[in-house]
Amino acid sequence: MPEVILRNITMRFGKVLAVDEVDLTIADGEYVTILGPSGCGKTTLIRIIAGILEATQGEVYIGGKNMKGVPIEERDLGYVFQNIALFPHMTVKMNAAYGPTVKDKPMEERERVAKKYLEMVKLLDKMAMFPSELCGGEQQKASLARALATGAKLLLLDEPLSALDARVRVDLRYELRRIAKNLGLTVVHVTHDQEEAMSVSDRIVVMRAGGIVESGTPEQLYTHPRDVFTANFIGETNLLEGWVKERQTGGSKIELRDNSMIVVENCEPQVGEAVVVSVRPEFVFPFTDGLLARIEYLTYMGTYWRVSSRAQSNDLVEFDVPSIEGKLFHPGQEVYLMFNRKTAVVYPRPAEGVTEAVKLE
Amino acid sequence: MDLEVRNGEYLCLLGPTGAGKTTILRIISGLIRPDHGKVLFDDKIMNKVEPEDRLAVMLSQTYALFPQLTVAENILFGPDIRRYDEKVKNRTLADMLDLVRLTNRPDAYPNELSGGMMQRTALARALASGASVLLLDEPLRALDARLRISLRHELRSLAKSMGITTIHVTHDQDEALVMADRIAVIREGKVVQVGTPGEVFDNPATPFVANFVGQSNFFVGKVEGKSESTLVRGGSGQLVLARPCENAMGEKVVVGVKVGNTELHKEGEGFFDGVVERILFEGRNIYLDVDVPGLGRFSSKIPSWRLGRLAVGDRVKIKWSADKATVFAMPSDGLEKELRVE
Repeated sequence: MPEVILRNITMRFGKVLAVDEVDLTIADGEYVTILGPSGCGKTTLIRIIAGILEATQGEVYIGGKNMKGVPIEERDLGYVFQNIALFPHMTVKMNAAYGPTVKDKPMEERERVAKKYLEMVKLLDKMAMFPSELCGGEQQKASLARALATGAKLLLLDEPLSALDARVRVDLRYELRRIAKNLGLTVVHVTHDQEEAMSVSDRIVVMRAGGIVESGTPEQLYTHPRDVFTANFIGETNLLEGWVKERQTGGSKIELRDNSMIVVENCEPQVGEAVVVSVRPEFVFPFTDGLLARIEYLTYMGTYWRVSSRAQSNDLVEFDVPSIEGKLFHPGQEVYLMFNRKTAVVYPRPAEGVTEAVKLE
Repeated sequence: MDLEVRNGEYLCLLGPTGAGKTTILRIISGLIRPDHGKVLFDDKIMNKVEPEDRLAVMLSQTYALFPQLTVAENILFGPDIRRYDEKVKNRTLADMLDLVRLTNRPDAYPNELSGGMMQRTALARALASGASVLLLDEPLRALDARLRISLRHELRSLAKSMGITTIHVTHDQDEALVMADRIAVIREGKVVQVGTPGEVFDNPATPFVANFVGQSNFFVGKVEGKSESTLVRGGSGQLVLARPCENAMGEKVVVGVKVGNTELHKEGEGFFDGVVERILFEGRNIYLDVDVPGLGRFSSKIPSWRLGRLAVGDRVKIKWSADKATVFAMPSDGLEKELRVE
């Protein structure tokens, strides 16, 4: 039921254009993450959906109804904030029962609903405690239970995990997705954390400077991003600058700045066009020949080493080696690198320059 | 607590919120005094030395730049107070701006800067004060996740290039692995383990460390055989292999193995079988949960180019190589309590 449609949404704060003509449809039951760097307009957008802010221009439809003039409490949605906002003077159970309480539901129902959702977030054993007695992750679970207990089928999550420790965050994101899917909720989740977005979403919407860059499933955005900004923002990638030398199905040649050549399977730009090639570190391999590079440093990543090298073409090229092979590589060493040609994505070189096009802030 | 940080070392204090990490930094900086115990810089006792005389500078999570001062004025705040002469000040400023790549923004005010630039200005101010010990309290926490990853190497190499002894507090185990010369894992006010990233990851001292630094699966059982590897038998009869251990035959133990070293196979031999419950695409890796009857959930993290070989509902064999699994004595308070991260 709660399909969310944003039509031509624009938001200005004085002279600042925070959201610029955004169109977006979120299907019923879909888990959508709005992902982007600080200041991209993602928080403004979710607040407009919630009715906390009114857009300067454009319409919001929830479940087919135009939300113009409809206040947040009548939009039938649950909202979880970044800064955990529980009522400090109420127990966890009273907090969870807040939705049914303001709707004047009978006592037994308040009790039943609160317990149902506290059980779902695995907090039933702490229901008699006050928020201050809980740790951060538990507090956020209680906020979630409170949002769910309103019975809303649309859940808005505004950076729900940002205030938590890294390790707690990882555990909680799996819980978020599991609960949302079990209850068949439509979820709009705002975050700046690309790993979080990838592990919870059906679809990720990438935002930058007030607009949508692109949207797709986590796998689509990781393996075939349409924009070079996405390629760098979601996961890490090597960006090599060059020109299209030869274009053939199954094996186009890209000439790099030192005249060395790499081969890619798919290349949309035409011969002669300035391009940037994106290849992820896990698809670059040291070999007996290929692109010549000098190793700058190695970084321990637990199950593997990431080797950072400077190619003769002056591009920074990173590649991963299994942890047992870490000893075979050291700074200053020269290596030849091969690329998995199937996974390379070629983009027209952005007019503003590659550095500017992938800038994170 | 006992902890020794080497000269010029980049040490990460890693632990969950409330472990006492920030308190340790404050004790080192002199902002608070310990109830008892000594703080030494080289072999000099610092307990009675005032914070401003310690040459240990602390950079807080929120940077705390002076909003009414420009980048240059913020950086020169320390040298100004210490009344350095103009020449020294000018050189320090030029060096610092160059070091943190803000040469073209000396006249900007903090509110005109991005988060990363504020962070670099604060770092430059700390370094310009002539400190020989740099105390960083969650220096990357206020930044976006992706930016945080890009700045890790930069921050570390800045500190290393100055040869300054750095103590960096973080709750983020990835950050610690990538940045530290050595990691000290802190929990409930105590150091649980100190070692290189490789030692802490591959050779955890306790089940907590095994799980906090890089997430592990755990298998509870009794030691049944000891030779070049340890044989451990679980409650429902499963037999697994692990590294050699000191624990006695018949002793109740926990075997910990990293999710990244937990292998799933459709064919061949495994320690036990399970059914794939859930597959999450995480970019470079995919994360799989496998339900094992009688043992619960085992997780595995495998490179995503192997995606497609496994699907939800598949029956898989779970195994690991013995040298990737660590044997721990059963924690006295039980495994669940031992693994709590908050």
